[in-house]
Amino acid sequence: MTGKPFGIGLDVGSTTTKGVMVDSKGSIIATHLQGTGASAASAVAHVLESLFSTSGKTSDDCRIIGTGYGRNIVDIAYKTVTEITCHSVGVNTLNPDIRLLIDVGGQDSKVIKIGSNGRPEDFELNDKCSAGTGRFLEVMARVLEVSMDDLGPLALKSKSPCTISSTCTVFAESEVIGRIGSGDSPADIAAGVHLSMASKIGSLSKRVGVATPIGVTGGVALNPAFRYYLSDILKADLWVPEIPQLTGALGAAIIAMKDNLVS
Amino acid sequence: MNDEKPYRKVETQALLQQIAFRHGMEAMAASEEGTLAWVSSGFPVEIPVAMNVFPTYPEQAGAIIGATKIGPEVCGFAEDLGYSQELCSYARASIGSTDRPDDVAMGALPKPQALLGCNNICGTILKWYDANSEQTGAPVFLLDTPPLEAEQKPHHRAYVKQGLERLIEFLAKTFNTTLEEDRFREVSDLSSRAIKLWTQSLKACQNKPSPLNCADRFLTMAPVVSSRGMEHCTEFYEVLLAEVEDRVKQGIGAIREEKIRLLWDNIPPWFILRFFNQLAAQGVVFPADTYTHAWSGAVEGTDTDSLLDGIADIYSNVYLNKNLDAKVDKMCQLIKDFDLDGFVMFSVRSCKRYSLGQLVSKEIVTERTGVPGVVIEGDMVDSRLFNEAQIQTRVDALLEMFV
Repeated sequence: MTGKPFGIGLDVGSTTTKGVMVDSKGSIIATHLQGTGASAASAVAHVLESLFSTSGKTSDDCRIIGTGYGRNIVDIAYKTVTEITCHSVGVNTLNPDIRLLIDVGGQDSKVIKIGSNGRPEDFELNDKCSAGTGRFLEVMARVLEVSMDDLGPLALKSKSPCTISSTCTVFAESEVIGRIGSGDSPADIAAGVHLSMASKIGSLSKRVGVATPIGVTGGVALNPAFRYYLSDILKADLWVPEIPQLTGALGAAIIAMKDNLVS
Repeated sequence: MNDEKPYRKVETQALLQQIAFRHGMEAMAASEEGTLAWVSSGFPVEIPVAMNVFPTYPEQAGAIIGATKIGPEVCGFAEDLGYSQELCSYARASIGSTDRPDDVAMGALPKPQALLGCNNICGTILKWYDANSEQTGAPVFLLDTPPLEAEQKPHHRAYVKQGLERLIEFLAKTFNTTLEEDRFREVSDLSSRAIKLWTQSLKACQNKPSPLNCADRFLTMAPVVSSRGMEHCTEFYEVLLAEVEDRVKQGIGAIREEKIRLLWDNIPPWFILRFFNQLAAQGVVFPADTYTHAWSGAVEGTDTDSLLDGIADIYSNVYLNKNLDAKVDKMCQLIKDFDLDGFVMFSVRSCKRYSLGQLVSKEIVTERTGVPGVVIEGDMVDSRLFNEAQIQTRVDALLEMFV
């Protein structure tokens, strides 16, 4: 067999770059996550360096797949696979029961119906607007002068969420500033922001067709208020993996190992 | 080297340049002689052609403006006049190029003496041609073909036929001409023959490998849009069909290695036809699309009265004048007849009539045919509305479903 014993998935997103290394059984050997910053190429180099130093392996031991919006800049990869397929495979590896996956990343949100073979059967992505993505929350956190980590817990304190439109991040920002001006509490505004985003992603999910159990991944899955409102809108419990940002990279690594077996 | 490309160029395409050049020259001559009409793509041109009125097409000019990658600039001319960016980019390209013809390398049309619009393709045409009328001073004739819910009812056909009779009066008065039955029959016959030949070429794509890809058809459809009822148009489709049949006989495909067969829905992004050639490198061919299959009705009839009946029928029943059910039926039928693995729906920002309902029809088509599809968003002329990275991800993800 000419295959290599390890697989690496590199998920180059707009906000963060993620790397996962797995062995031939699909067990995770090393992971790394860092901001993509201005140079995706150097983020990729750093992630690889970290995976190699943690595992003690070299690129000669690994087959590498690039995924995410920056997938084409991963020169070392032998192929690229879209994040839609990678997230499905990654989630399926962690929890094979999941039938609907909602992944909310920095610049897009996707809803994927996962087939029993672990691959996507249907999917929808947000349209050109960033109103249903992590970027929306980042902008709102900045306006409310709270950290991203504090935004969700702040929203959960609200008893009466404000109404914030979800059509455009820029317009929603002016709306939030207006709300601040009219004296609404930061908690109510933060809750309104999460509710607005959850309702946008809820309708995207309904377009694909809600099937349970539902998994949520991507950086936004860490936000408790988002999970709370989305769960309420979809009337279903949500499963979230331990490190929800890594599922795309994990899926890519798993695909690399499967390719390895057939090569 | 052409041989190394993942797709094979259709030889007959070389004739297109000659036809386009000839059409342009004839349009200019007609404009000088006072016999030029600007015409919408779904207009029954057999009537003006039979009455010696030469038709030329703002929509086709829009496609040329798009293909020559000056769409944003020319649309911008219309935006400078106050037209919204939300307005159809064919309309903006038309209004913009009419306003500043000297700043448009290719695609500005010679001055018309009449504007002939039919709302079987969209409602925008009404106001768009009104704007063109203000710019050029040419009068507008509107042929009203109310949308069809199901089969065309007799009263619907009678109404459209009355419109055709009014058209004949309008042309007679505006151009001081008459409709001679023999000539009308001759033009209708030429038009029918061209459409039948074209339809045969389209049908030949049911073969595996498909002899034509999307981009081939989008280019070779030009004469059937612009020159129906003219001798050289029929000749062109004879040559094309011969090449297509030869490919089928020899088992030559439009692309070198056909692996995945997809349906295309909607107008293409004219500024990036290489999109289809890039997919050809991945083994993806589009043997059918709803856009070129919109031209399948042939005008039948033996005298003026029956020809008008035929025209009232054919031009009311065009793809875009039917309800969503008919569109879904057509897509399912194409997927079945052409044995397609999936479909790509292009949601065209400009063309609400074409794009409305795509999200729902996507679900229904998948339900009925069992094949997956994807909706991508963009525009046919205005490349500012086309995000290549987003589109690539969606299409790649669809292709990964076939692994």
